[in-house]
Amino acid sequence: MTIADRALTEELAGRKDMIVCRGVKKWFGDFQALRGVDITVKDREVMVVLGPSGSGKSTLIRCINRLEAHQEGSIVVDGVELTNDLRNIEKIRSEVGMVFQQFNLFPHLTVLDNVTLAPIWVRKKPKAEAVAKAMELLERVGIPEQAAKFPGQLSGGQQQRVAIARSLAMEPRVMLFDEPTSALDPEMIKEVLDVMKELARSGMTMIVVTHEMGFAREVADRLVFMESGEIVEVGTPEHFFANPKEERTKLFLSQIL
Amino acid sequence: MSDTSLSNMSRQPETPLPSPARWVRDNLFSSISNTLQTIFFSLIIFGLLRWVLGQVFSEESDWESVATNIRLLMTYNYPADQFVRIWVAAGTVFFAIGSSFAAWNINPAITIRRLVVGFVGFGVFLLLCAVIAPSVAPSSIRNGMYIVGAVLAVGGLVVRRLVPGAHLRFVPFSRLLTGAAAIIVALIWILPFGRHSFSDGELTIERGVSVASSTKVPWTVLFVVLLVAFFGGRVLAARFAPVMRRALIAWWVIGPAFVLFLVLRDPAFDWGRVWSVDVPIAAAFALGGGALLYVLARPGRDDLARVVGAVLVAFAIFNWIAAFAGWYPMLQKVRISFLLVGLVTLLVPTFAGERSARIRLATSWIGLIVVVHWLLTAINTESTLVISAPPFLGGLVLTVTIAYYVMLASFPLGVLLSLARTSKMPIFRVLSTSFIEVVRGVPLITVLFFFSIMLPLFLPRGMGISDLAAVFIGYTLFSAAYMAENLRGGLQSVRRGQYEASDALGLSTVQRTVFIVLPQALRVAIPNLVGQAIATFKETSLIAIVGGFDILRIANSTIPNQPDFLGQKRPALLFIALVYFVFTYSMSKSAQNLEKKLQAGQAR
Ligand SMILES: Nc1ncnc2c1ncn2[C@@H]1O[C@H](COP(=O)(O)OP(=O)(O)O)[C@@H](O)[C@H]1O
Ligand SMILES: [Mg+2]
Repeated sequence: MTIADRALTEELAGRKDMIVCRGVKKWFGDFQALRGVDITVKDREVMVVLGPSGSGKSTLIRCINRLEAHQEGSIVVDGVELTNDLRNIEKIRSEVGMVFQQFNLFPHLTVLDNVTLAPIWVRKKPKAEAVAKAMELLERVGIPEQAAKFPGQLSGGQQQRVAIARSLAMEPRVMLFDEPTSALDPEMIKEVLDVMKELARSGMTMIVVTHEMGFAREVADRLVFMESGEIVEVGTPEHFFANPKEERTKLFLSQIL
Repeated sequence: MSDTSLSNMSRQPETPLPSPARWVRDNLFSSISNTLQTIFFSLIIFGLLRWVLGQVFSEESDWESVATNIRLLMTYNYPADQFVRIWVAAGTVFFAIGSSFAAWNINPAITIRRLVVGFVGFGVFLLLCAVIAPSVAPSSIRNGMYIVGAVLAVGGLVVRRLVPGAHLRFVPFSRLLTGAAAIIVALIWILPFGRHSFSDGELTIERGVSVASSTKVPWTVLFVVLLVAFFGGRVLAARFAPVMRRALIAWWVIGPAFVLFLVLRDPAFDWGRVWSVDVPIAAAFALGGGALLYVLARPGRDDLARVVGAVLVAFAIFNWIAAFAGWYPMLQKVRISFLLVGLVTLLVPTFAGERSARIRLATSWIGLIVVVHWLLTAINTESTLVISAPPFLGGLVLTVTIAYYVMLASFPLGVLLSLARTSKMPIFRVLSTSFIEVVRGVPLITVLFFFSIMLPLFLPRGMGISDLAAVFIGYTLFSAAYMAENLRGGLQSVRRGQYEASDALGLSTVQRTVFIVLPQALRVAIPNLVGQAIATFKETSLIAIVGGFDILRIANSTIPNQPDFLGQKRPALLFIALVYFVFTYSMSKSAQNLEKKLQAGQAR
């Protein structure tokens, strides 16, 4: 363990557990997509998940807000265990925000309605308050002037920033990002990453699946490398980019760096 | 002025038109095969037109059979001394149309060029008709067609010459509407339609004059109402458009029920009973239910609301079972109200919220109870029952009424069926699929027979149903099955990501369906739904078979049996074909506009 690693471990140890996965297993029919994943994400930690396509990264974070149901093991989010109990699922979903590769904005609603819908109907916020908060968030992601437009009228980068604002409007404790920049043209990646960096600095707990190594190096507290539904290696960016232990990690990094 | 410039800014102007000669060469005679096709199809069209004109002006066609029977075709035997009700009902419809145009800022992009092309085309068409009309055509009509056709064609071409950039300038909708209304009203006052009347069984016809003022005046008033509603509505819409839209949507859904009762005559309420029984019951449900909803809609009481709702629905279902078994008596409206309060309570978690949301929920409930109880009370009173019997309600009024209500009622039913069919719960899927498949496997006529003849036999003692209501229920169920199938296509087109995003935001299943899935599915389904609406409208003619006097039956069997017009079918059939066409064509046209508008909104 390097000095940086040790310092981080000590620092993180003092914080509260935000997400705890223990032996999480998940099958799609006969195919096992997760083979016993153990991971703990601490409060205000930014964790970046790396791994080749098909390694189960999306499946893992989709299990964390129950878009997929895991079959074995346990997932506890902010002290609430994910079971089939509908109330726990609803509670967790309103605590956990998710940003998708394909944005998944609601095309028939304006940007403002996209952002205020859930606060008004799920959080039961008064409309004026929800709108004020939405405008504040659109300001924060840098597109307040697009509030009255429809998603189809925005560029990909702008749409993804609206999607981030939409998730933040629910005031989540945790944000999950599933390859948020993979569907974007290169010139738009930066504007989205900048928003995410700002979010990380503000102390949001984040799990980010991404191939943007610059982002991982700059923002991540810890990196996780997954392959074939397993976690192969966990460590700080320094550890990963300087001297990864596992052969598979080295091979993967050499391919994408 | 202002809307001219607005529409110019927001719309692509049409491309400039090539000269007519050039257009004809490029499009009709560009090659040999193209020329042959043009000639071939022109001959076919020419032949068809000739045939239609031959029918219209045939010596055997007595158009007085239509002119005399206009009132019969429109309203059948509606009592003449009650006619003002029909006019008032029509007035409310015209008012709603005018204000809806204003509230939704309807503004189709029609350039001066398109208008001119339309007028010139119509003028040329009239000239053509005048030339090829058979020799028996009255010379007054032929000359009239020559003159009007020439005026339109030449006038149009002159306007096109005089107005520079006709293809760039949009005609504001306000002027189109005013112009159309003015032309129609002027025609009503000028056209020598003649006055036809039966007095003491004798047909008297006064030729060469315009229609009686008992027709002219109400129509003029209707168009004035339309324009007043439109221009007044525009002033209001400038400030209150969202409120207006909500009010108008409510009116289009609830208003027709009131209009129907206006047409079906005021209910002859037994006021003693109304005050001692009906009002107290309605008040109990309105206030009790409102209080219950208000209490349960406090955030955090979702589970309690679900339990109470489930208990109430179970109780309501038990009540219906008890009614069939005859265990204990209970007023029909009480049974219905229990079911309503249960269903609404189940929806409470969706609409729960802070104080203003809860007040809104409670007041909506009170409004619902008032409307439902008024309808339930009115529907069972003497004069409504009498006049809704077939001898009174008929003609175009019956056709339009049945079509509108069937569409209105089958829509929510179709939505529920399609949702059930695509749901994850096997029991819903099986029930809905079997219903849809059974209904779609049976011809409409069988369904109508079943409901008008068989249904009354299955009803429990003391529960009757009028013919019209039976037909209406059968037709609604039939239409709902098709509606569900049309919607299913729309539902399947909603991408999985939309469901995932809604779930990730914590929306409940009902919220996801109402706010995200249905609006997107409906947009996709609009063309099919309109096709279905048109079919529904046309197939109302089948209610003739179970005893209704719709417009087709009057044309096909009532008029030909009148002593004055024995055997005269052709003119009336041609006339109602035109009526059907006007209705269906405007339906499909407005659906196209709606589609364009929605697409422009989303601008993918
Ligand atoms: N809904 C599904 N049905 C069947 N197989 C799936 C499904 N979702 C993912 N998989 C499989 O699970 C594996 C992991 O997928 P995923 O988590 O999306 O990988 P990653 O995000 O790392 O590329 C892949 O082999 C994929 O084919
Ligand atoms: Mg993935």
